[in-house]
Amino acid sequence: MIRLEGVSFAIGDFRLTDASFEIPAGGYGLVIGPTGSGKTSLLEAIAGHVPIPEGRIWLGDRDVTRLPPEQRGIGFVYQAYHLFPHHSVRENIGYGLRLASADARARVEELASLLGIGPLLDRRIRGLSGGEQQRVALARALAPRPAILLLDEPFAAVDPVLRRVLRRELQELREREGLTTLHVTHDVEDAMRLGDMVAVLGNGRIQQAGPPSQVFRYPNSAFVAHFIGAGTVLQGRIVRTGPTGGDPPRLDARFESGPLVLEVIAEREGDAHAVLRPEDILVSRTPFPDYPRNRFPARVLRTELQGPVTHVHLDVSGETIVASITTATAQSLDLRPRDQVEIAVKATAIHLI
Amino acid sequence: MVARSLRLAGVLLGALLVLLIVGPLLRLVWEASPGALADAARDREIRDSITLTILTASAATMLALILGVPLAYALARTRFPGSQLVRGLLDLPVVIPHPVAGIALLLFLGRHSTVGGALGALGLEFVSHVPGIIAGMLFVSAPLVMNGAREAFAAVDPKLERVARTLGDTPWEAFRRVTLPLSARGILAGALLGWGRSVSEFGAIVILTYNPKVASILIFDRFTVYGLPAAVPAAVLLLAVALGVFVLLRLLEPADRG
Repeated sequence: MIRLEGVSFAIGDFRLTDASFEIPAGGYGLVIGPTGSGKTSLLEAIAGHVPIPEGRIWLGDRDVTRLPPEQRGIGFVYQAYHLFPHHSVRENIGYGLRLASADARARVEELASLLGIGPLLDRRIRGLSGGEQQRVALARALAPRPAILLLDEPFAAVDPVLRRVLRRELQELREREGLTTLHVTHDVEDAMRLGDMVAVLGNGRIQQAGPPSQVFRYPNSAFVAHFIGAGTVLQGRIVRTGPTGGDPPRLDARFESGPLVLEVIAEREGDAHAVLRPEDILVSRTPFPDYPRNRFPARVLRTELQGPVTHVHLDVSGETIVASITTATAQSLDLRPRDQVEIAVKATAIHLI
Repeated sequence: MVARSLRLAGVLLGALLVLLIVGPLLRLVWEASPGALADAARDREIRDSITLTILTASAATMLALILGVPLAYALARTRFPGSQLVRGLLDLPVVIPHPVAGIALLLFLGRHSTVGGALGALGLEFVSHVPGIIAGMLFVSAPLVMNGAREAFAAVDPKLERVARTLGDTPWEAFRRVTLPLSARGILAGALLGWGRSVSEFGAIVILTYNPKVASILIFDRFTVYGLPAAVPAAVLLLAVALGVFVLLRLLEPADRG
């Protein structure tokens, strides 16, 4: 288990305020945030390299807030691996085992064979490929059997094919070693594929934390929505149009964003953002008879083929809205720039924040 | 075409510089007859003074390492209030004319000064004693030793130490197992430079401790008292010994295992 309770610290120009999240034992948590948002500093703080003036860090059932790094039982893999250049592969992996015992030797061999780097054990670090260095760094971190594994952008420097292989290897190792993992990345895709818990870091705060399905479906702020690429984020105002009902109370309302007015179901009035997910936007060349509301004429700006789906960038009353339709549909519609189409979106599909 | 002529100019200018350094030294060696050199090597005063020079230079270098390496590490790794000032102060000896350094040391360590008087009461005499030689050498060589170590430490990524800490090392263990081996080459290079600087020192030592004579002072003494022919063999011997130690230490340097 990794739990942060209201952790605040400052290091250099970076300040983190009131960070809280929890990754259950054996779980996989991700912290995502833009480059420079302090992800590495957060990991280093959890590892014990940064003094924590406020808040608590729990690893397993221990409060480690005041413990030095060597007593926290953590494995750490930096983005650039940081292997010890004056040691061989074998010495790197065995570094944390210290004793030249038979057990230590066996552990090094075991991890090397699990990660497919057995033949490299007596090589020097210089000359290893990125993928090989990555595996050595992982083996080195795991050798002392830590309960916690901290990964700093572990897949940033490897090509997509190797990335898939490494993701699978990491998954197997985690289960085998019973590791609780925290992985920081700017790659939203990693977060969607791997995590039990996702925390979005930005502007020195954890902006949102929760299960990936929750965070990706219901971003709680324009920052999170933008960062995770949730879709088109419109800024505007909610204006009540009908009576309030239900529990929690919901009201029929209009969302006004410049000339664009959407009918929505809201929980409150006032300034807000509306997130329109690309997959919730329908595109047609003919009017939608089933949608009496939230239908708009739109002009095609461009289309982007992305495998089975096609992103259609549309101009709607001066706002750019992105719709995601199947490539088959896109082909049958034969959309071209400057074509006039109609788009529709269900009131229930509009996420207001 | 431009690149070619630039390269040619570079080669010519560089060759001129090498000639300016090597030329006088070769001329000096040329001047010494084998017989005179053999006599000098048997000359007890010359042998003693070269031994004294090597021992005091080594002592000054060791002192500079002991006093300077921890500070170099602190300066490379942290920014503390006044760290820039400390760096600047430690570079001062590089720009001070060496007789000025000698005079300053004489005033600071002389028998009638507060510090020198107190140390003298403890039995540590500087003026006209061996410690005076070491003090002069330390003053002029410490910046080289310290800066060499600081640059060597700065070149070791602090993240390597952090990795070692998560692998169970205490701060001292991480320093000993990671930072020190990776910076040893640079520290040694700085120490070697400092040692060489100490062996070559004249201006500061001549004011503090004329006797016993280190090699540079002995050579100056022979030159002023007996003239050039007497100074040359001793000079060539010192040159040979200094070069020999330099080459030997370079050979002993740990190989770059990176």
